[in-house]
Parts: sequence; structure tokens; C-alpha cells
Amino acid sequence: MEEKFDCIIVGGGIAGLSAAMILARADARFLLIERGEFCGAKNVSGGVLWGSDLNELVPDFGDSPEGFERFINHRRLTFMDDQSAFSLDFKSAHFEQTPYSGVTVLRSKFDAWLAGKVEAQIEQGTHSESSFLATDILVQEVIQESGRVVGIRAGGEDFFADCVILAEGVNNLLTRQIGIEPAYVPADHVAVGVKEVIEFDKSVLEDRFQLNGRSGLTNEFVGFCSDGVEGGGFLYTNEKSLSVGLVLGMKDLREKKKAPQDILNQFKEHPAVRDMLTGGKVVEYSAHVVSTGDIDAVPERLYDDGVLIAGEAAHLLLNAGKAIQGMDYAMRSGILAAEAVLAAREVSDFSGAQLSGYQKALENSYVLTDMHNFHDAVKLLHDPMMFGAVPNVLCDFGRQFFTIRSEPGQKSRHMMTAAVKRHSSYWDLIKLGAKAARAL
Amino acid sequence: MKRLSISERLGLVSYRNQARTDAKAHIEVDTDICNSTCPHQCTTYVCPAKCYTLDEAGELHFQFEDCIECGTCMYACDQGAVKWSYPDPETGRGVNWNFG
Repeated sequence: MEEKFDCIIVGGGIAGLSAAMILARADARFLLIERGEFCGAKNVSGGVLWGSDLNELVPDFGDSPEGFERFINHRRLTFMDDQSAFSLDFKSAHFEQTPYSGVTVLRSKFDAWLAGKVEAQIEQGTHSESSFLATDILVQEVIQESGRVVGIRAGGEDFFADCVILAEGVNNLLTRQIGIEPAYVPADHVAVGVKEVIEFDKSVLEDRFQLNGRSGLTNEFVGFCSDGVEGGGFLYTNEKSLSVGLVLGMKDLREKKKAPQDILNQFKEHPAVRDMLTGGKVVEYSAHVVSTGDIDAVPERLYDDGVLIAGEAAHLLLNAGKAIQGMDYAMRSGILAAEAVLAAREVSDFSGAQLSGYQKALENSYVLTDMHNFHDAVKLLHDPMMFGAVPNVLCDFGRQFFTIRSEPGQKSRHMMTAAVKRHSSYWDLIKLGAKAARAL
Repeated sequence: MKRLSISERLGLVSYRNQARTDAKAHIEVDTDICNSTCPHQCTTYVCPAKCYTLDEAGELHFQFEDCIECGTCMYACDQGAVKWSYPDPETGRGVNWNFG
């Protein structure tokens, strides 16, 4: 039996690697275990990494852009019916300064890059021979002794540590094994994301989306794109490709008897989307479960004796209508988990009582603060009107408003009244507006 | 753009241990439940890799070889028929994303 580690991290995704970076900087002795052939091999995201936490982990990452795809200076939110697309579009030079506040990533590349940065940090410490990122190894179970987590079993071997960070992602089997989350997680706690990466000639992509150097566009969609199922669509520009996909509520998908890959086909064939995809070549099709970002799905306690839960394993994610924030939440929670381990090491106390500082730090950070504050907005987005009546009314109004016939026109308010009557009622919209006013 | 079938889409996925004919299944499905008491057989449509199919007689079948490890069936099945785990890196299948 080897000498035990200060910390074992399960999962080499963004949460796990962020924790590893903080531990490596503090010269702690740790083992990170990743089941993929390399870090990123098993990860899928939309994916935009929002916020500026990456700059904390890899200062000046924007100057040597081999990890990310494009920084975001152009945002678009599109409401669609079967024929039309009505967009809110915002582009600003304000977003062109580093540190960028949003970058698109392809996880197979990004996570491998971040792992390289962590390894370089390990090299600089005194544990370059005894701290590891171990890939291609599946953790079978968490080892507990008298109710406290003491290590993990992987590949038939036992590894021990003062503390274990579970950063295993949304399909959190180990988090369930130790009872932090029940063994069966119901369908309404998750959604499923499906996506295609579509490659283009770089100059075609740049011309089509008005990209300048490494700048990029994010476009989210609601309405027709999800075929009546709770959820929405996305289109993100990568360096030489687009990430195009959908996020669909699992329970709603089951009840409406729809197949995600069929809805994706239909979304891609919408006139407004079709014209953005012309000439592209699909190079990968992927899918993954994703948390809904409802705080009700977050386990009550994200720690226990000798263990912390970080990232999507803890269902930390927010989609309050302006962005799907999962990877920044993973990053921040990984950082805070590692800091909690270091604080525990100071006082040689890895009990749940000591590690509860992690949960307090999450409560004080944007992670749990925003999940609490925007809970109503998250619920509002699940209202069927948001992906039904609202986009239909907007597109109907847009079609009338932008139609120029060689005959006397109507005033806009009459057009709006007609649109509302066709798809909803003022009373329903007022109720929704009242909910929105409270939520936003 | 040409509409892609599910097999064309899965043809773009890099699977692990593709040469192995004896790969170990990482998901076990009690199809007796699917074919007797389940009211919806939802896995046949929600699974993004179409690992769950119905034959001409309406019987549900499952194969793990095309699984892309998304996790969908583990949540969508509320009948207790799906036992989900991660594939073993050495003896199992599963994916190796090129882009992710």
C-alpha cells in the first residue's frame, strides 16, 4: 500500500482539472483519475465557457489561444416558428478585450489542453514524481470506513486519501453510491443535449458569420426548434466549425414521444438555420445528459466526511435565459472544492463539519447565489408558453410588421393584437409577464 | 444539407475497442419489464443512439455497442429496467470523442 494522497479527484473534466490546478499550485500531493483515454475524451458540451474564471486558472489564456475556439463578441437570441426567425442581436467591441467573458470550446481539445497546463504546474512543485493525472482508469467505487470516505477502488486496486473530490459529471454514479444523491434520479431533473459539429472552410465561416480573427457568435433558439418539447436550440461558432444542437427536457421528451435526433434534423432544416449550414460537413454527432439547472435538483449537502462534490455531479448549472452556464460553474466549484481541501489540510481535519466550508463558499459565490436568485427565471423558461405561444406571437407579429404590401397598412398595435389572438390571449401573456417581472 | 440517418450519424462516432467481439456490456436492460408492464417503452424513441429498438412483433431489444454513454436511458426509464454503468476502458465499448 502506497502512502496516501492529500486528495483524490475523480474525473478529469473541467471541475476536476480546476481543482487539480489549485492543488498543484499549493504543492499538494494528489491523484486525479479520468476514465477516458485522455482528459476530454468522454466530455460533451454545447459549448460556451462563460465568465472569466479561466483567466484565474490559466492567466492570459487569451494570448495563446490553442485551448479555446473563439471568443464571443456577438450574441443572438432567436424566436422561431416553422417559417420565421425573430432575433434579438447584440454585438459589441466591449467583448473584445481580454480576459474574454465567453469562449467557445470543443471539450476533447479544451480539456486535454487544460490537463497539459495542470501537468506543467505539477512539474514545478515538489511532487512531480508523486502527483498524477491518471487516464484510462475507471473508478469502480468509493471506499468508506465507518461512514467516512477514505479512498477509491479503481482497476482492482485501492487508493487512499485524506479527502476525495467527486467531479464525475452529471451521470454521478459515485455520488449516488455514497448517498449524497438518491440512486434513481428522475427524468425531470435532467435534459438531453444532442449536437453536431459541422465543419466549414474557415473563410466561408468567417464571411458567413462576420467573424474577425478569433471572434465568434453564439445563437440560442426557442420555439419551433424543439418541436413542442421543453428546451431550445443553439448554434456556436468554433474556429473552423459550428456546434449546432438542442437541449430537450427529458420528462417532456418522454411524454411527447419524440426522438431527439429527429427534432435535430427538423431544426437544421428550418429556413433560417438551413441557410447558415449550407456547404458544411457533419464531422461528429454527439449526445449527453445535462442538468436542468434547477436548484431543486441540487443535493442538499455537497460534502460529507472526507468527500466533496463538484461540477455537474452536484447539478451545478444555470440556464436563466441568457446563457447556459455549466462549465464556468464546474470551474468555480472545482476551485472552491480544492480550496476547502487545502483549508482542511491546514487544520488536519477532513470531517464533514470542516468541509462544509465548501458549501458556504459556493453559497457566497455566483454559483449558488445565482441559482437561488434566478430560480424563478429557470421555472419561467419551463413554462410551455415560452417555447410555444411567445415565439409564435413574435414571429406572427414580425411577419405582419415587415410585410410591405401595396395597400394601406395597419398600425403595429393592431398587428400585435391579431398575433396574440391567433396564438394565445392577452390574459395569458399578462400572467406570463407578471411571472417574468418577478423572475428577472 | 442532406438529412443524416442515425446510422450515418453513428458512423461518425469513434468507438473504443471496436475490434473486440467480446466487449463487455456496460448497460443491462431487463427487457422483460419493457415487454410486459412498461406503459411507454420510451427508450425506443428517447435514446439518441437508437440502442433500443422494436421488432415486427413489437418486442423491445437492446444493444450496447452503439451506445454513446449519454445517460439518457438511465433517467428516461422510470420502470427500473435499466442498470447503467460506465464501460470498462479495457474490456468495454463506449466513445472517444474527437470534438466533444
